[in-house]
Amino acid sequence: MHQLARNLHLQQDEPALYKLCGLSYSYPNGQTALKDIDLDIAPGDRIAIIGQNGAGKSTLLKHLNGLLPVQQGSLTYKGQALVEDHLRQARLEIGLLFQDPDDQLFCNTLQEDVLFGPLNQGLEITAAIAATETALTAVGLVGAAQRAPHKLSYGQRKRAGLAGLLAMSPDILLLDEPTANLDPHQEEVLLQLLKDFTGTLICITHNLLFAYEICERAVVLDQGHIHHDYTFKELVSHKASLREHGLDFTFRFAAAPMPEDLETEDQTPPTIKTHPDGHVAPGSSQLIQLQNYGFTYPDGTEALVGLDLYISRGETLAIVGENGAGKTTLVSCLIGLRCGSGEYQLGDKQVTDANRRDNCRQIGMVFQDSSDQLFCPSCYEEVAFGPRQLGLPKETIKKRVAEALDQVGLAGFDERVPLHLSGGERKRLALAAVLAMQPQVLILDEPTAGLDPAGEELLLGILKSLDVTLILISHDLFFIRRLTRRTLVLHEGHLVQDYSTEAFFADTNLTSLNQLDFTYRNRCSLEIMRLQHEHEHSHRHHHSHEHPHRHGDLVHSHPHEHEHEHVHIYNHTHHTEPDKASQESANSVQEPTHGHLPRADSPHDHEHPNHEDETHDHKH
Amino acid sequence: MHISDGVLPTTIALGTGVVSLAIATWSAKRSPAEDLPKVAVISAAFFVASLVHIPLGPTSIHLLLPGIVGALLGPAAFLAILLGLVLQSLLFQFGGLTALGANALMMGLPALACGLLFQTLRGQSRKRQAITGAFCGGLGVLGSALILAILLALSGEDFLGVAKLALLAHLPVVVIEAIAAGFIVSFLVRVKPELLEAPFTLRKEQILPDTKPKR
Amino acid sequence: MTEHQTIHFAAYWLPLLGCGVILCSWLAMRSLRRMITARQTTADEQIPTIDAGAAGTSLIHRWDPRFKIIALLGFAFCAVSLHSPRSVLVALLLTIITVSIARIPWHRPLRRLLAMNGFLVMFLIVMPLTVPTRISDTLIIFGDWQLMAFNLRGLELALVIIGKAWCVALLMEPLLATAPLGATLEGLTRLGLPGKISETLLIAHRYLFVFLGEVQRMRSGMEARAFRPGRRWDTLRDLGNFVGMLLVRSFERTHRVYAAMQARGYNGSLPHHHQFRGATSDWLQTMVWLGLGLGLVLADRLHTGGF
Repeated sequence: MHQLARNLHLQQDEPALYKLCGLSYSYPNGQTALKDIDLDIAPGDRIAIIGQNGAGKSTLLKHLNGLLPVQQGSLTYKGQALVEDHLRQARLEIGLLFQDPDDQLFCNTLQEDVLFGPLNQGLEITAAIAATETALTAVGLVGAAQRAPHKLSYGQRKRAGLAGLLAMSPDILLLDEPTANLDPHQEEVLLQLLKDFTGTLICITHNLLFAYEICERAVVLDQGHIHHDYTFKELVSHKASLREHGLDFTFRFAAAPMPEDLETEDQTPPTIKTHPDGHVAPGSSQLIQLQNYGFTYPDGTEALVGLDLYISRGETLAIVGENGAGKTTLVSCLIGLRCGSGEYQLGDKQVTDANRRDNCRQIGMVFQDSSDQLFCPSCYEEVAFGPRQLGLPKETIKKRVAEALDQVGLAGFDERVPLHLSGGERKRLALAAVLAMQPQVLILDEPTAGLDPAGEELLLGILKSLDVTLILISHDLFFIRRLTRRTLVLHEGHLVQDYSTEAFFADTNLTSLNQLDFTYRNRCSLEIMRLQHEHEHSHRHHHSHEHPHRHGDLVHSHPHEHEHEHVHIYNHTHHTEPDKASQESANSVQEPTHGHLPRADSPHDHEHPNHEDETHDHKH
Repeated sequence: MHISDGVLPTTIALGTGVVSLAIATWSAKRSPAEDLPKVAVISAAFFVASLVHIPLGPTSIHLLLPGIVGALLGPAAFLAILLGLVLQSLLFQFGGLTALGANALMMGLPALACGLLFQTLRGQSRKRQAITGAFCGGLGVLGSALILAILLALSGEDFLGVAKLALLAHLPVVVIEAIAAGFIVSFLVRVKPELLEAPFTLRKEQILPDTKPKR
Repeated sequence: MTEHQTIHFAAYWLPLLGCGVILCSWLAMRSLRRMITARQTTADEQIPTIDAGAAGTSLIHRWDPRFKIIALLGFAFCAVSLHSPRSVLVALLLTIITVSIARIPWHRPLRRLLAMNGFLVMFLIVMPLTVPTRISDTLIIFGDWQLMAFNLRGLELALVIIGKAWCVALLMEPLLATAPLGATLEGLTRLGLPGKISETLLIAHRYLFVFLGEVQRMRSGMEARAFRPGRRWDTLRDLGNFVGMLLVRSFERTHRVYAAMQARGYNGSLPHHHQFRGATSDWLQTMVWLGLGLGLVLADRLHTGGF
């Protein structure tokens, strides 16, 4: 069922914006990044470049802006190779948004930074300032023009980077992981900005839901090859190819409410009692007890206010909230990096400013960015770092390292250099480094940031197998649903909700409260689910049927066997009411449709009953 | 240790200022124009590295790293150090504005010398490179202390006592810097040996593999 | 060597005076430090903002940066050339007036003074003990401790140095904080500083904050894994790894930053966009400052006799 590359044919009268022929690239260290890329990009195309980590996406993007020289093959932009004057001109027409906004904001104030592009385009200073104002207004940062980039939040910096491009009124926008590390609200803001952009858009992303909203065409890269060149709708409706490229994000669609899969999937130890309303009487079984806990930064910002929180051993909970709601402050208080006011009891120990630094013996944390946690020259030393700090004997350390590496599927990586591992491996290494300290509580801060879907699935499997108290900070509804049974909602430092995860998913009041706008994601996923159920595919068919025709005056008919390729539209729906489902199955004659109850093994493939016999038109 | 304003006579302050500006210009010229933004970014990193205070025993240490700067940046090291000093002076008032030239010579010359020495002696094995790194790291600080002492001594006989004391106070720093430099070099050999291959500015043609942040 | 004056004190005065001085300076410093930290606006202000006061409208703010740099830098060099305590005091007074004209909040220059105290206190203690004795010197000797002869000329020398250092430190604020950093550096470039150097400085300044954030996060990452600096001897190895990692990360960043600059049409230099006027008042102000500085040096030399 796997389709091979099929080029979308451009209309002949429209000249290609980019024309790539047999483009190959390998890095000086011998690593091949691109191999034989043939690609035409027309003006106005909106393309998502997708593929696993390391598939060559960034390398391709850098070629489109002439940041990497063409080694083999050819690349033309508007009919000419990207060199010298043409390259200089092209760069002023092409905007490239980097993944890390700090790479892009290299000036000391926002205004200077946004001015950089227009001034390089040769604009007069007054015109450049006008362009700057327009761009900053568009991204909603006009008030911050004189501020230094490091005084802005991550989301603001991302938008500031975009403003620097928009001020140049580019014809083409190249985006490298535009949504990495953004919360859902900021993601939506960015989405709106990009939807308003009318030029050519080429975007690398793992976030297929986001790409689905802004892109029409999908180019799938696999180990440096172009594997598919589809319309986006075709891609998402074609599960087999998604899975092959480690892009099968459809396993995430369980995030849409399907309550009954909880019973079948959760194998949490029986000792755990969930507390549907979250209110637990303080008692001896509590591992973490916070009473009237608060934290105020020296500048007076109240990050946490009057928190009462009890967490018992073995519980799994999620903390959600908008950026700046106090999630990170809360966990850094829990592990003892900060000390707030109020009562904090960990196990049977009263945590004070003097002993808070010992908390890390019981509580481990995996940071959002693995680079902040990995600093040793080998994986062994990395994992051994924690146990070594605890002063454990050498033999114990050795044993623990081996165990931890094994647990995360990195056995045998002892001598590898952490920096050279892939993003997913680094995340798992960071997890191993924490597990080696054998914490009772494990805190994960946005564990899925920057992972490709295959990496996410692997991580999920590991996390589900762990036997610890789990605290998950995430915007990722799917992970929250799969891993936790209780959810805390923080808003401006207050704990506004503390209830079961099911209740959280049923809660519809969150959007207005704290801009935790997950709705668009839900909207997208529903739409894609529908697409996957109404998909188009084509393959060889073998038919045998009556074939009436005439020879001269003689009309006759005989059975006729033939093979040809044709396209199916194939529908099926998931219904919760059994009646309707069966009814639809019965009706599926002309347009094959079937319906059934939601199944636990979602996503699933379907039989194609009787399609050999389907009536259809074709040429003879 | 930096010299603050008002210690050196004006003639020496101005003289060292002119000399270091000349060396800095040479240093900037030796680096291809397109590498200068890179020198800027890496200077910031060295600056931040020198801000990291780590308590050790009764005191706290922070690293100066002249040897490492020289080994990694080659001729651009002087420019990087001058930048770092200007920033320290502008931001924290460590080292005076009028003594900038003297401070730059004090840190920059040993960096250049140690960088050259490291590239000549380093050899191939990880151990040897680490030892060479440690040697150069220690030597860099010793060189700075010597220049400091000489500058003070040149300022008049009144400063001889201070000069001797300054030299003496640097001796433990030399040991600590040497050990730390050894570990840093050993780390780099393991993780990103190409940084040590040739001074920064000579690797003009080379484009390193995709270095996007691994999140 | 024999004709110098000596003042004798009983031996027990030495520890008493020593302790008194140490206690007083410690108290003073603590209260100053508290005052400054209380004024800091943001929690993580480890690195102060150079041009925090750039939005003001004082006389100094309105001064063309090019003229301001020449005038104040010239004055600074004059100030460090002074010899007599009296002229240093006058220079100090002048700089204090400048700071108040520029309406800069006092905690900022104070922070600068405080940052220098380690170096200066060393001078204050070492100089009186180490300067060679001259004929006209006055020595203070405690009991029979000839070695600990406390030379008052050394003390005076140290105080003059401190005064001069404070002068320049105080001038830094009106010089730097009264215009955006970009404008100050562009002014310097117009005055003949190689453009490369000022550009590099601007970029380096920007990335300080980025790397500082990285360092802080990496340090939390280490502390979350039970790292206690200095508790064990292999701290130095961890520190080596830490610095090595910081360098590797920043080297990788250099390439990305440069790519980002290229992608927006960087052609070897940052575009200039500040405008300079150079009105008569700018000339006038500059003349006044340079005149004051040169006048001070002249008076100083006449007073101390010879150049």
